[in-house]
Amino acid sequence: MNTGPAIAVKGLTKDFRIGMRGLKLRAVDNVSLEIPRGQVFGLLGPNGCGKSTTLKIILGLVSPTAGEVSILGFPFATTSARSRTGFLPEAPYFHKFLTGRELVAYCARLSGVKPESVNQAVEDALALTAMTEAGDRTIGTYSKGMLQRIGLAQAIVHDPELVILDEPTAGVDPVGSAAIGQMIKAMKAKGKTIVLCSHLLGQVEQVCDRIAIMDRGKLVLEGRVDDVLTRRDQTIISVENLTPEARRAAEEVLAQHGARVTSFTHPRRSLDDLFRELVTGSRDA
Amino acid sequence: MKSARLPWIIAIFCLGLAGVIAELSWMKVRVSIPEMGKKQIEPSLGQGVLLGILGGFRTVIADGAWIRSYVLWERRDRAGCEALMRTSCLLDPRARFFWENTGYVIGYDMAHWEIRKRGGYAKVSAEIQDDLFKKYAQHGINVMEEGIKYTGGNVGILISAGQMSELKLKDFSLAATYYKRASESKNAPWFVHFMCARALWESGKTKAAYDWYREVWQKKLSLEDDHAPDDLEHLRFMEDQLNLTILQRIPRQSWEKKN
Amino acid sequence: MPDFMKASLTRISWMTRLTFLEAIRQRFFAFLILLSAALVLSSVSLRFLDFGHGELKFVCDFGFGGMFLFGSVLAVVMSAQLFFAEMDNRTALTLLAKPVSRTEFLVGKFIGVWLVLGVFIFTLSTLLGIILWARCQELTVAAVEVGKAPPEFSITGLFSYTGMQWARLGVVAAMILMVASLARTFLFTVIVGSMLVVAGQLQWLAQETLLKPGDLNFFSKLLLSVSTYIIPNLQQFNIGDALTLDHGSVADGAVTLALFSGGCYIVVFLFIGSLIFRQREI
Repeated sequence: MNTGPAIAVKGLTKDFRIGMRGLKLRAVDNVSLEIPRGQVFGLLGPNGCGKSTTLKIILGLVSPTAGEVSILGFPFATTSARSRTGFLPEAPYFHKFLTGRELVAYCARLSGVKPESVNQAVEDALALTAMTEAGDRTIGTYSKGMLQRIGLAQAIVHDPELVILDEPTAGVDPVGSAAIGQMIKAMKAKGKTIVLCSHLLGQVEQVCDRIAIMDRGKLVLEGRVDDVLTRRDQTIISVENLTPEARRAAEEVLAQHGARVTSFTHPRRSLDDLFRELVTGSRDA
Repeated sequence: MKSARLPWIIAIFCLGLAGVIAELSWMKVRVSIPEMGKKQIEPSLGQGVLLGILGGFRTVIADGAWIRSYVLWERRDRAGCEALMRTSCLLDPRARFFWENTGYVIGYDMAHWEIRKRGGYAKVSAEIQDDLFKKYAQHGINVMEEGIKYTGGNVGILISAGQMSELKLKDFSLAATYYKRASESKNAPWFVHFMCARALWESGKTKAAYDWYREVWQKKLSLEDDHAPDDLEHLRFMEDQLNLTILQRIPRQSWEKKN
Repeated sequence: MPDFMKASLTRISWMTRLTFLEAIRQRFFAFLILLSAALVLSSVSLRFLDFGHGELKFVCDFGFGGMFLFGSVLAVVMSAQLFFAEMDNRTALTLLAKPVSRTEFLVGKFIGVWLVLGVFIFTLSTLLGIILWARCQELTVAAVEVGKAPPEFSITGLFSYTGMQWARLGVVAAMILMVASLARTFLFTVIVGSMLVVAGQLQWLAQETLLKPGDLNFFSKLLLSVSTYIIPNLQQFNIGDALTLDHGSVADGAVTLALFSGGCYIVVFLFIGSLIFRQREI
């Protein structure tokens, strides 16, 4: 059994040619990261930072200028890799004349689900995304939230090991957004690896195990959510009566004054704050 | 790099192969399409008939072009009229009507237009008039000759060409060749054999006319239900004119009326 | 059959189904088929325009013209529209992120479009066949009364011609998809595709010129020669008159060879299209 990372990216670079003069725009600049299996990974960045390009390269929709990518141990852009990957694009659009059930069945067939298993796979995907009742309605009648959910269903119908979601909650109301968050957790519970691209940092903070932040094509930060958000240069000492000093001096003083230290913790900033700090800082550099 | 170029090399090779097969296919198919060459198509370009040349609604567009040519006929626009009429011929080259009538208009009408354009019958000398009649008649016959080729030897056009040779070129020998071709056609009308014989006679080949006409009557016409009595009457006239002996003449037929 | 081939054929067949369903629902298709049918039906009432071509030929011409003109428009516009709809709506993103290769995508699109074109052509052809048969019966009665030879037409010839037109439209569709693989916009594809169709219909002029080159210089001959390979001769499929009305004037094997030639061009254009499409960034 392959226990390597779900996605391994090494030195990924992508240049786009602009105009006739041969000028190049570097959309992705020497990005290297590893996404472990069985985790929810958040890929964040401002508009135009290169995260969508990175995702497209991973999915084989765009070819890199340099670098290597592997998916679940398979070279990227191969049918072996794509058959194990599910993808929900940003603002998904599907053929309006199909019903939800037909769309998911169609995607199941394209993804290689065996004919005898298609019906069950479709029902399972619709159940997970709470679309069973609406499955027989045409997609043209769906709301935005339902579109996102049916998009999620088509992405997971073939039980992929890796699921890539690009802005799954964009334009969705808070209730729908929370529901999608629950679905992501349910998928994680089944052992899937989820890569999530989102601008809703609050949700990313709640749902993701690891995050990476990109800016201007470069990877500026990558790590566990707890690790990157915790400010280790500061310590919160939770005390009943006394001010902080060195721990021992404080304890002695406190002990002298009859106070008791209950915990030593580090302060935590929000992901929002961290994001703005890093991104703003990079632009000003 | 080599492996990146290989599919393209294969693609270009296959394209070339497809082109060779298409060429072979065209060689077989072109006999079924009475298309004309570049020279004939040039006058029709600009006549608003591109759709027909491309391959659609040919008959309708040919009819439309023909009707438009009538307008130019009324204006005595020689070049325009001929161009549109030829366009109709081009679009429907198997139709007798267009070839025959284009030949008629060129052969019978355009000389008069030219004369009028040059000042009228009083101004243009008889010699020049004669030259013009012959020139346009020959042009008309040439058009009909093309029509004969594209219609696979249509009898009507052959006869019309013969008539034009007779009436306008005064060339009975040429007329006879056309009538003879018509006579040998599958759908030859009953009167064409006499026309051929008469044209040969008028061209001075009297004995040849009689011999040919007699052969046709004996091998073909006499076998018809009524034995073609009109033709036999003409043959008897020829025999009298040639002063043939009884042995040289066609034996008297049992149904033949006595003089 | 190896598993990977079975899987590939399955994916192609599902892409074909969706393309066909999408195409057959389009109002443009319904409009064109109704217009063509009306044109064929109107040929019966317009027969007073006949200048001695023969009524059956006149009616055939309407049918063949409808197949040619509207079939070509449908092939060009529908192929381009179905391709760019996937690109512009970004459904191509979803599809190509699945284990669907670019070649399978293109082939599935092509077969779906070709089937729709088949529906169009065979519907028109059936209607034309019915009208020809009906008029033939009436004209036969009239001809017998006056002692003339009755007119004839060949049903098998008509359907052979229909097959040839279907092949022609297949070549056009494959050509358009090849152009679409490279083009960025629907309009560009339609314009260039239309020009290629016109060039294909006039290609016979180049081939006839090469048969009798006359005083052409070397470079002109080379240019004409190259064009005869790159641009298919679509006129080779236009032998409707000979097949339907003139028995025996079609050379043996001509139809088979023309169909084979069409098949070769379809394969080549789709191959080139897939090579181009593989490099395209979605």
